[in-house]
Amino acid sequence: MWRYLINRFLLMIPTLLGVAIIIFLLLRVIPGDVVEAKFMSGEGSGVSNEVLAAERARLGLDKPVWEQFAIWIWGVARFDFGISMWTGGPISEEIALRFALSLQVALMATIVATLLALPLGVIAALKQDTWVDYAVRVFSIAGLAMPSFWLGILMILGFLIFFKWVPPMVYTPFWIDPWQNMVQLVWPALAVGYRYSAVATRMTRSSMLEVLREDYIRTARAKGLWLKLILVRHALKNAMLPVVTVIGLEFAFLLGGLVVTEQVFNLNGLGLLFVQAITRRDYTLTQALVLLVAAAFIFVNFAMDVMYAWLDPRIRFR
Amino acid sequence: MNARRMTWFAGILSATASLLLLTAADALADEKPRSGGELIFPVPSEPPSYDAHREQTFGVIHPVAPHYNGLLRFDPTDPTGTKPVADLAESWTVSDDGLTYIFKLRKGVKFHDGAEMTSADVKASYDKIVFPPAGVVSDRKGQYTVVKAIEAPDANTVVFRLKWPAVSFLASLASPWNWIYRAEILAKDPHWYETHINGTGPFTFVEHVKGSHWVGKKNPNYWDKGKPYLDGYRALFIKSSAAQVAAVRGERAHIQFRGFTPADRDALKAALGDKITVAESPWDCLLMVAPNHQKKPFGDKRVRRALTLALDRYAGSKALSRIAIVKEVAGVQVPGTPYATPPAELEKLAGYGKDINAARAEAKKLLKEAGAEGLTFTLSNRGVPMPYEPVAVWLIDQWRQIGVTVKQEVVEAAAYYGVLKKGEFDIAMDFQCGYTVEPDLDLYKFTSRSKNPSNFGFYEDKVLDDLYEKQSRAKTVDERKKYVREFEKRLLDEEAHYMMTLQWHRIIPHSSKVHGWQVTPSHYLNNMLDTVWLSDGPSH
Repeated sequence: MWRYLINRFLLMIPTLLGVAIIIFLLLRVIPGDVVEAKFMSGEGSGVSNEVLAAERARLGLDKPVWEQFAIWIWGVARFDFGISMWTGGPISEEIALRFALSLQVALMATIVATLLALPLGVIAALKQDTWVDYAVRVFSIAGLAMPSFWLGILMILGFLIFFKWVPPMVYTPFWIDPWQNMVQLVWPALAVGYRYSAVATRMTRSSMLEVLREDYIRTARAKGLWLKLILVRHALKNAMLPVVTVIGLEFAFLLGGLVVTEQVFNLNGLGLLFVQAITRRDYTLTQALVLLVAAAFIFVNFAMDVMYAWLDPRIRFR
Repeated sequence: MNARRMTWFAGILSATASLLLLTAADALADEKPRSGGELIFPVPSEPPSYDAHREQTFGVIHPVAPHYNGLLRFDPTDPTGTKPVADLAESWTVSDDGLTYIFKLRKGVKFHDGAEMTSADVKASYDKIVFPPAGVVSDRKGQYTVVKAIEAPDANTVVFRLKWPAVSFLASLASPWNWIYRAEILAKDPHWYETHINGTGPFTFVEHVKGSHWVGKKNPNYWDKGKPYLDGYRALFIKSSAAQVAAVRGERAHIQFRGFTPADRDALKAALGDKITVAESPWDCLLMVAPNHQKKPFGDKRVRRALTLALDRYAGSKALSRIAIVKEVAGVQVPGTPYATPPAELEKLAGYGKDINAARAEAKKLLKEAGAEGLTFTLSNRGVPMPYEPVAVWLIDQWRQIGVTVKQEVVEAAAYYGVLKKGEFDIAMDFQCGYTVEPDLDLYKFTSRSKNPSNFGFYEDKVLDDLYEKQSRAKTVDERKKYVREFEKRLLDEEAHYMMTLQWHRIIPHSSKVHGWQVTPSHYLNNMLDTVWLSDGPSH
């Protein structure tokens, strides 16, 4: 078991290095740079080429690419991600500001999704081809068909039209004012959580259906075991493997992928920061964000591997 | 009329007069600025740094300007935004030869850290703008090439010595970007103001949470006694225009100072009725079409003239102003401002006549003469939806009507300048925005490429350069107008170096509680908030 976990953990390092190299090179291929984005693509008249060159030199963009990479990767190895080329502020601060919000929305959406998906998926599987199953399927297919940002827009419009109200525009941390925090974040969590639950509900249903047809479930029933026990101990535990995968991957995606939903609810999160960093050609910030999201995916994968091992003894002893 | 009737009549008259007086008094009371409240406004952009001398986005001006003063400012009550008035300067004199400007400063003005503001601070700030030290970026340095020296002979006097007389010099000094910083701080670290705030303005700095908001509170020691009226302000950084509109509609914000679309205005008005007041103005921003003179057949002025003749600007204005932030048909100056072209003169320019059929017939004839019948080209456009997209669609349709086929290539905003700079286009959408409508600032873009790297038509025109110099050094308004008209005729008609589309139109639907703010053609102006007040406590 330990060897399995250590192997999985060590595999993270080359994966992250590969991601670092790819994102560093890709950013240099895209036309334009942060200096042009800042001084020449606005509505002003622009500055001289000398000033642009001086700014590039100040940001180290005049150095050969390999040297820029070496400086950056050496910093990353020491957990120093440098400064944002756009704001001049430390990247750790830029990310920390948004990370708490994005993490909270991701966690809340995961809770919403799990609370909806597991019972609905199981009920739909148990009541296959009845009106209950059809209702759950309609509910989940509607969730799949409806982008979360669109649901968010509908929510905002509904609030405005019926209650002449919109959620707060400024983030208040939970530990400062829990009520204000929840009033702002519960709506995006519901909008995102619904779509997220739709994927997980479908997965839970199909996985449960598959497991319920297994011989060992039939045997358990034939032995006269209590149905609830069969479902929880034998069926659900085994059916959870693909569901855990879906929930884990969606969670990692939510950390940096809520770009449009964040715009709809004006959330100062990582998704919006990601888009801004790319459009501003803020290389250092984009690189750090990509690494962060990659690390989140890798970590979630690792956590899922651990959970697989817990759920399925065959993996532990392989 | 008997005595009883007279008494009754007198009573009615007296009651009516009292009622009228009371109503008038109420109206006056309504107009009297009220102190208190927090103004809340969304800002669609965010300051890259806090130093306006180096930045060019309104994302700096809107949240940060209330912390600062300039030497001069534009009259906050003037709807044209073109009249320089005193700010930290109390008065000024100009020498007869127009080469020396002497400014007397206000006394008793203090920075937010308590230090006294003196002429040394004004000199240091302008030295940073006009003669920036190595490693310091000054975005508008090029606008002050006329300045020979800046002197501070005593604590309350600043002298600007010019190389040649420049009629626009006072307007340049009223620039909303030229904040006065503290000399002592600049001497220690010229980059300090990129990350810190210390001005003399009506509001002091409270906090900036990146990506979220900016807060300022009333400066109790502000030199203009009685101002500001607001207790403070809060700028919310909201990128999405739908979220900005929702903020105003949900009464979480009072105003957005840049501008909304016509559809947003109509939606807000329909939803909030009298709670919303709409302020509108022609906007000193313009989308222009730059034909690349280095590429065939756009070096041929017959082709360029044909392309501008094909545009029905008046019909375009009617249609586009319903869906986009463009409206006014204009030449090189914003309508309603001192050097704007009178409509009768404008109609004489190619592409501005009222008979579009005749214009298009002439356009087809010119294309035939130039051997460019059935012309096909690519229009490069900036990847910003409003108003670039609708204007480009309109252009393509207009050109189609003279037999020209156009393909649109949309380039991402951050990469667009690279395309323009390298001349990698046939015809491109170019743009210009100004902080005031002033020929020196507005016309420079159209001078020869060798003088001015932001000329994306890639042409040389010594006649145009000469006219630019002449208007800049004209001694009277009439003389200057004459040269501006000649410049305009050559630029848009005779040579058709550039083609103007439609002037942007600024629409500010704001809470009716907001008073003391005047819309102008520039979204860089009137953001100090010292004159703004709220007629009722904030409902947020």
